[in-house]
Amino acid sequence: MRRSSWLWAISALVYAFLYVPLIIVVVYSFNDSRLNAEWVGFTLNWYHVLFNDEQMIRAAVNSLTIAVTSSLVATALGTMAGIAIHRYRPKFLPFMVITPVAMPEILLGVSLLLFFIQVLNLTLGMLSIIIAHITFCIGFVAIVVRARLAGMDESIFEAARDLGATPWQTFKLVTFPLIMPGVIAGALMSFTLSIDDFVITFFTAGVGVATLPLQIYSMIKIAVTPEVNAVSTLLMLLTLTTIIIASKFAPDALRGAAK
Amino acid sequence: MINLLNSTRVTKWLVSGPPFLYLTLFFLLPSLIMVVASFRYPGEYGGLAPIFGVEPGKESGLTLETYRFFFSDFIYTQVFIKSFGVALATTLICLLMAYPLALLIAQSPKKHRDFMVLLVILPFASNFLIRVYAWMIILGPQSAFSLVINHFLGLFGIEPVLLLFSSFAVLVGMVYVHLPFMVLPLYTNLEKHDPVLLDAAQDLGANAWNRFWRVTWPLSLPGVYAGSALVFIPVLGMFAIPDILGGTGDILIGNLIKDQFLGTRDWPFGSTLSIMLTIAVLCLAGITAIISRSGVRNA
Amino acid sequence: MKRWLFVLVFLCCRGASAEDTLHLYNWNNYISAETVERFEKSCNCKLVQDYYGDNEEMLAKLAAGATGYDLLVPTQNAADSLIKQNALRPLDKSLLPNLKNIKPEYLNRDFDSGNKYSVPYAYSITVIGYNEQKMKELELPTDTWAVIFEPKYLTKVKGRVTVLDSQRELMAAAMRYLGYSINDTDEEKWQQARDLIIRAKPYWAAFNAQSYIKELTVGNIWLAHGYSNDFFQAAQDAQKAGRKFTINWRIPKEGAVIGMDNMVIHKSGPRQDLAHKFINFMLEGENSAELTNLIGAGNPNAAALPYIKPEIAQNPAIFPDEQTIKHLEFMKDFDRKQRRVMSRMWTEIKLKQGEDDSTFWKGLAVLLGLFVFAVLGLAAYKRLAASRGQAA
Repeated sequence: MRRSSWLWAISALVYAFLYVPLIIVVVYSFNDSRLNAEWVGFTLNWYHVLFNDEQMIRAAVNSLTIAVTSSLVATALGTMAGIAIHRYRPKFLPFMVITPVAMPEILLGVSLLLFFIQVLNLTLGMLSIIIAHITFCIGFVAIVVRARLAGMDESIFEAARDLGATPWQTFKLVTFPLIMPGVIAGALMSFTLSIDDFVITFFTAGVGVATLPLQIYSMIKIAVTPEVNAVSTLLMLLTLTTIIIASKFAPDALRGAAK
Repeated sequence: MINLLNSTRVTKWLVSGPPFLYLTLFFLLPSLIMVVASFRYPGEYGGLAPIFGVEPGKESGLTLETYRFFFSDFIYTQVFIKSFGVALATTLICLLMAYPLALLIAQSPKKHRDFMVLLVILPFASNFLIRVYAWMIILGPQSAFSLVINHFLGLFGIEPVLLLFSSFAVLVGMVYVHLPFMVLPLYTNLEKHDPVLLDAAQDLGANAWNRFWRVTWPLSLPGVYAGSALVFIPVLGMFAIPDILGGTGDILIGNLIKDQFLGTRDWPFGSTLSIMLTIAVLCLAGITAIISRSGVRNA
Repeated sequence: MKRWLFVLVFLCCRGASAEDTLHLYNWNNYISAETVERFEKSCNCKLVQDYYGDNEEMLAKLAAGATGYDLLVPTQNAADSLIKQNALRPLDKSLLPNLKNIKPEYLNRDFDSGNKYSVPYAYSITVIGYNEQKMKELELPTDTWAVIFEPKYLTKVKGRVTVLDSQRELMAAAMRYLGYSINDTDEEKWQQARDLIIRAKPYWAAFNAQSYIKELTVGNIWLAHGYSNDFFQAAQDAQKAGRKFTINWRIPKEGAVIGMDNMVIHKSGPRQDLAHKFINFMLEGENSAELTNLIGAGNPNAAALPYIKPEIAQNPAIFPDEQTIKHLEFMKDFDRKQRRVMSRMWTEIKLKQGEDDSTFWKGLAVLLGLFVFAVLGLAAYKRLAASRGQAA
C-alpha cells in the first residue's frame, strides 16, 4: 500500500489542528495566572475555585439530572423507533426521527420555545429542557439501534418464530439481547449529547435553571478566568470516558451513525 | 388478551406508537406552531398577539405583514447570503482538510483504523463551547500565535491585526467545530474502495494524480455529498460561534433569529426567519439528493 | 471524588429547604456582596441572584416564560411595559414603612402613579468613561459625545473604544448628540442617528455591555460608553490594582439617558413576604447608601444622604446639578411597529462593515466564485465526455 509522504504530512497537520487547541485549554487550567497568555506556574487553584463555585455546582447537578433522565427516556423511545423502522418500514416515522437530528438546532429550540409558551403555557425549567433533549436524542438512539439491527442475520428471528416464539418472547429472548450493545451505545451517546447541548437548552431553559454549557457560556461572555479551563477539562474527561465506553460496546454503530 | 399481544398488528402499533406520538407532540406540532406564528402579529409587549380578536381596535388574526417586512429591506436577504457564504467556505475548507486525513485512515492497515477514527471523534466529544473557547485563547491578542503573526506582519510594515472578534475567527471556529463531521462520512466511503481498482489503473499507466482524480474521487462523491450536508446545514443555523468569536458585523441568520426571540421580542419575525431558513435547508437537501442520484448514475 | 459526592448530597438536602430563598433578577454589579450578606442575616434567608445586562434581555426572557423570580429591577420604561402586561404584584405599603425615605420628586412618576407596583432602587446615567491619562495625552475632550462619534477624534483612539451593545442606549446617545430627544420616533431622525453610528463604527473596538469595566481597568480600552456605576467600579478597581492611570467619567454636555431602576415584585414569585422585606431593607437609609458608596449608584433616597461618602455625594456625574438634570431624559418604551423599525436599523448598524473586514469577504467571495465556476465547468466537461462515449 503506497502512502505518499505528503498525505502523512497533511494528516499530521490536521490532527495537530484538532488537538492543539484542546491541549492548550487543559494545560492552562493548571496555569497560575488569571490570563490565558503565558505559562507562569503549576497550580490546582482553579480547580479549588471550581469546586467552591456554587453556581457551577448547581449547574453540574442540573446537567447530570437532565442528562440521565432524558437519555433513559430517549433510549426507550429510540429503541422502539429503531426496531419499528427496521421491522415494519413505516412511512413517516423515519422522517420524524431523523429530522430533529438533521436540521439546524436553532430551529428546534425556537419551535419548542414557541410551543411551550403559546400552547402548553409551560414554565420553562427542568421539564422543558428534558422534553427538548429527549426529542433530539431519540433520533440518535434510533439510528444506532437500526444500524445494529441492519447488520444482523435475519434468519435468527425466523428460527425463533418457527420454534413457536411469540413476538414478545422473540423480543425479550432474542432481539433485545442482540441489540443490547447498540442500545447501550445509544444511551451513552444520548447522555453525552444531553450534557453537551447548548443551543436547544439555551432556548428552552428560561432563566434560573443553568446547565453546565449555559454556565460556561455566561462565563465566557462576562469574565473569562481559567476556571472555565478547569470545568472544560473535567467535562472533556467525562465525555471522553463515555464515548470510549460507547465505542467499545458498538464500534460499527458509531460508523452507522456517521452515515 | 394474550392473543391480542401476539398479533403483529398490535405489536406494530405498540412499538412504533410511543415514539411516533412523542415526536408528533414535541416536534411536528411545535414546527406547525412556528409556521403559524410567522403569520401572526407581534404582541404589544412581546410574544404573539392572539389569533382571535380579543379587544376591538387591537390587531389579531393572520397577516403577511412579517413576510413583507422581511423583503422590505435587502439587509435581511444580505444576512442570508452571508450565512450561505460562510457555510460554503466552511464546507470547502473542511473538505480540503478532511479528505487527505480520511484517505490516510482508509489506506492504513486495519488494526490502526479504528484508533485513528477514534482520535478524530474525541475532540468532537468535548463540549462545543470548549472548542470555541480554545480558539478565544489562541487568537487572543496576547497569545503566542497572535504575537508571532503580528510580528511577521510587522516585517512587511503591516499594522498589528486583531485576530479574535473577526470574520477570520468565526471561520476558523466553524471549521474547527465541524471538521469531524466531514471526516467520518468520507472515511466510511473511502474505506469501501477496492484497492484492486487503483492497482489496475496503475497497470494501465495512470500516474498518481490520475489515479486519484479518475478513480478515487468519483467513487468518493457520495461521501463528499454526505459530509458536505453534515457541515453546511448546521453552519447555516449557528449563532454561538459568531456570538463568541465574531466582531460586531459578524451576524448570521442564527444570531438574527436568536435576537428576535431573546432580545427584540419580535416573535413573528423570528418565526419568519426560521421558516425562511427551513425552506433554504430543504432546497439544499433537495438539490443534494438530485445531484447525488444523478452522480451515481454517471459513475 | 468524595468531596464531589458530599457536595451533591449537601445540595440535594439544601434544595429541600428552598422555602427561605428569595430570587432576585438584577443587573450585573448592581448590589454589593456586603449588602447581600447583611440582608441574609437580617431576614435569616438566602438570596439567589440571576443577572441581565440589558432591559431588553430581561423583558425578552420574561416574555419567553421565565418564572420564579420574586424581585426584578427594571428601568422605568421596562417597568412601564411590565405594569401594562399585568405581570407585577401590587405592593403592600404596610410592609414598607421605609418608603417615606424616598425623595418626593422620584415618587409618583407617570408610569406608576401612586407607586402601586414599584419603588425606586437607584438611578444610573449612561455616560462616557475614560482613561484620564490617555485622554490628556491625546488631547481629547471628555465632555461631549463627539469623542465617540466624530472620526477626527476617533482616529486617535481607534480600536480602543467600546460602546454599549444596546439598541436603545446607543441610538439615544446618537440622538442626543444630534440634538434630538431620545424618545423621538421620527424615522428620518433615526436614520441620521444610524448613519452617524455607522460612520463611527470602524473605529470602535466592540459593542460591549459586560466586560468593558475590566477592559478599561486593564488598560486595553481607553474610552467607553457605559453606565455611571460601572465606571465607578472601574475607577475603584484600577486604584486597587495600582494602575498608573485613573478612570473617570462625565455626563456629556449634549445630554444623556438617565435610568431610574425600580424594585418590583413579579407575579410568579413564590415569596412575596421576603420580597417586601428586601424592598424595605433597601429603602433604609444606610443600606441604600451602601449601594451608592460601594457601586456608585445614583441615590433617590433622602435618608441615605448622611451615610454617603462626601466625595461621592459631590460628584456631579453621580449627583448631577440642576442644569445638567435638564439635559437628562428617561427612556420610554416603543410600540411594536417602532421596535421593529429600530430592530432593523440595529441589524443594519451591526452589519455594515468597516473596510478591513470587507477585503476578507471580497477575497473569499472571489475564491468561492472561482470554485463554483470550476465545479460547473467540470460538470459540463463530464457531460460532454459522457456523450462522446469516453466514460467507462
